[in-house]
Amino acid sequence: MSASLRGARRRRPIPVGHYLRIGGGVLACGLFLFPVCWMVLTSFKLPVEIFTTPPTFIFKPTLVNYISNIAHSDVPYRMMNTVIVATGAGALSLVAGSMAGYALARIRLRGAATMGALILLSRGVPPIALAVPMFLVSRKLGLLDNHITLILAYCSFLIPYVMWLMRGFFMSLPVELEEAAKLDGCSRFGAFWRIIVPISLPGLLSTLIFSVILAWEELLFALVLTNRFATTIPVAVAGIAGDTVNGANWGVLTAVGTLTVIPVVIFALLVQKWLIKGLADGATKG
Amino acid sequence: MSPAILLLLVILAYPIFYTVQISFAEMDLSTFTATQWVGWDNYLTVIEDDRFWKSIRVTGVYLVFALPLQLLLGFGIAFLVNAEWRGRGIVRALFLIPMVVAPVVAGGVWRMMLDPLWGLANYVLGMFGVGAIDWLGDATYAMATIVIIDTWRWTPFVTLIATAALLALPREVFEAAKIDGANWWTTFRYITLPLLVPVIAATFIVRWLGAVKMFDIALASTGGGPGRATNVINLFIYEEAFRSLKFAESAAMAVIILVATMVLTSLFLRGTRRLENRF
Repeated sequence: MSASLRGARRRRPIPVGHYLRIGGGVLACGLFLFPVCWMVLTSFKLPVEIFTTPPTFIFKPTLVNYISNIAHSDVPYRMMNTVIVATGAGALSLVAGSMAGYALARIRLRGAATMGALILLSRGVPPIALAVPMFLVSRKLGLLDNHITLILAYCSFLIPYVMWLMRGFFMSLPVELEEAAKLDGCSRFGAFWRIIVPISLPGLLSTLIFSVILAWEELLFALVLTNRFATTIPVAVAGIAGDTVNGANWGVLTAVGTLTVIPVVIFALLVQKWLIKGLADGATKG
Repeated sequence: MSPAILLLLVILAYPIFYTVQISFAEMDLSTFTATQWVGWDNYLTVIEDDRFWKSIRVTGVYLVFALPLQLLLGFGIAFLVNAEWRGRGIVRALFLIPMVVAPVVAGGVWRMMLDPLWGLANYVLGMFGVGAIDWLGDATYAMATIVIIDTWRWTPFVTLIATAALLALPREVFEAAKIDGANWWTTFRYITLPLLVPVIAATFIVRWLGAVKMFDIALASTGGGPGRATNVINLFIYEEAFRSLKFAESAAMAVIILVATMVLTSLFLRGTRRLENRF
């Protein structure tokens, strides 16, 4: 950019409204971030410092909540369960869901539009309508409290979600790509695997991340289908928050919350461009 | 395609079928199996249960307040965030953070902040001369609590969709309107709004599908209380099924909710399509 152009931009008067808008946006962002910051701060406080009037912002941070209350509890074990279940469910539903989404986007079938509406409707199925039979069936089959059961249960809402997102994504790709591949001797699956999957990697990745997050934070199925061996972090958090006997242990709750949120936040911020794009496309396309 | 269809048949279609089956049967609690066909008995029991209708009403109130609030705030904040400056990308990215806080964690942390005696919220309100509010113990405020928490968690989602939609608006149209002398309101009413209707409608559908499943936040923050003031329908069915072990009645309620959700979703889909055609 030449110097004269830059000078011209600087001279253009910027209305006060513009600064008000920037200020408002930053303020809103700050308000929405505050509870997360407060959670992280609280997790480094001693129990006596958590509820003070006025609230303490400056204090000597302690790791007591992390070391004595978490490291020696079943939280690390539950964290591992959560990782296993979330990544398992995310990966399984990504593979199954993206292939189905591709079929729905490409294959000219009568009723493809009806299928699309059905997927959307299936996202409205209340999980409790699935939780009751899943509990009864897996109890009968001896599959309660098992990672696989929870992974399959999560697929019930993740696969429609992935199908919906990826169908929209695949529909935005030109058909000529596969036609060219077919001319060069690719099978339909070959065209999907060699051409479509590589150029869809950003979409696939953001969908995978959203799916993992959805499975990561799921509570209802985890409450119903697990009790000791395969319980996840959300169940632990619900237990701490709902402890009516001793009262909620806020130090532990915020520490567990921080531990579960920080990795996801770092991960989400690293790939934020794809995530925001995937989010916007997923809601509006299709 | 086939693996997904097969999986969905096993984990989605079959459970729904099984729920319908249980809802017409009597459950034997010693073996956890459906024993006897009882026709519509479970449905009659549910329909005569005041607690069921109370839960439906509570869910309705929550939806009526939370959804419009989130859409309005989301699009409003998106307008602010989209102001052009160097930090815009960072501000947008930071809005991802509340979205990745698990609802149950959000419920817990907000419960801590809304503690009537020691919570931060009442302290801040106190600085503005507002007396202590019993956020969790008063029926009306408890409802406000779950609406606030849900709005906190989901407005960023709307904001991110809206920022993308606002950025995609065609600039030339607005410049043309300006040249033609359109004022702020006419531009908004006749250009911005019609162009945004499809996005608003789609966002509404997605949020509606998420919001009818409201469970975690209520469980972790108010636990459905005080009394039954925030006992949303999913929480109520969960408790009836897994605390009171009334599986048959719960299945009947689940079927009613399932059908109602499907009908309402179809109506909304049709409505949004009509709305898009009108603009």
